Amino acid sequence: MMISIREFGAARVVDLDGEVDLGTSPDMRRALFDLLRQTPKLAINMRALRYIDSSGIATLIEVFKNAQQLQKEFVLYGLSPAVQHVFRLTHVNRIFRIFETEEQAMSSA
Amino acid sequence: MSAPETATGGLFMHVTFDMCSRPCCLPVVRAAVGQLAAMVGWDETECRAITLAVDEALANVIRHAYHGRADERIELHCHAGEGELQFRIRDTGDAPDPTRICAREVGCDKIGGLGTHIIRDVMDTVSYESCQEGNWFMAVKRLRRQV
Repeated sequence: MMISIREFGAARVVDLDGEVDLGTSPDMRRALFDLLRQTPKLAINMRALRYIDSSGIATLIEVFKNAQQLQKEFVLYGLSPAVQHVFRLTHVNRIFRIFETEEQAMSSA
Repeated sequence: MSAPETATGGLFMHVTFDMCSRPCCLPVVRAAVGQLAAMVGWDETECRAITLAVDEALANVIRHAYHGRADERIELHCHAGEGELQFRIRDTGDAPDPTRICAREVGCDKIGGLGTHIIRDVMDTVSYESCQEGNWFMAVKRLRRQV
């Protein structure tokens, strides 16, 4: 898995690429928690993410809850069909704010 | 990947992984399981789901039976037959706690506990057994042919 970070005004966009599983989710967790401290809004671009398992979903839930506590925005966008399928299987769609495009994700308040 | 046929012409393939309990083994297993599921006849979406379920079962062994220890041993037996895939996983770590299997409420924002729900949703039958030789996880997925 590759994690790239971009600035988008005061917000940060994280581009995830590859596969998130038991071996890689700790790296994602560290990166997202670290970024959340630095920005009022964190957006995760999941367009290039080919695979995510329950450890990856659990990490996203953990970061989302932390963002809520810190009163920061945490949004996801660009979910591939493979990732959407895992979200449906785990019934977590309603937990997150999910958008189709970066434009929609970054213009949301 | 090619598969032998039985004397009666039925397709079958048996694949066994004997591996250490490191997460870096998981992508290799996922690739093979996805190919096996495709060979039996599932579409891309179902192949992904089956692969995810097996991955979750192995991750549970690494996390809960071996508590993240990387030098333990896991056996995975995959049997692909006519319209059916069977998986058996053996470990020698802590036995699974039945009270924690599918204990998480579905749709809530609790962290963790999703893996066993995925396995139950995807597979047709799932069972856990602990004996002298270790813990066995067994799951079967059957192909439903359209009439």
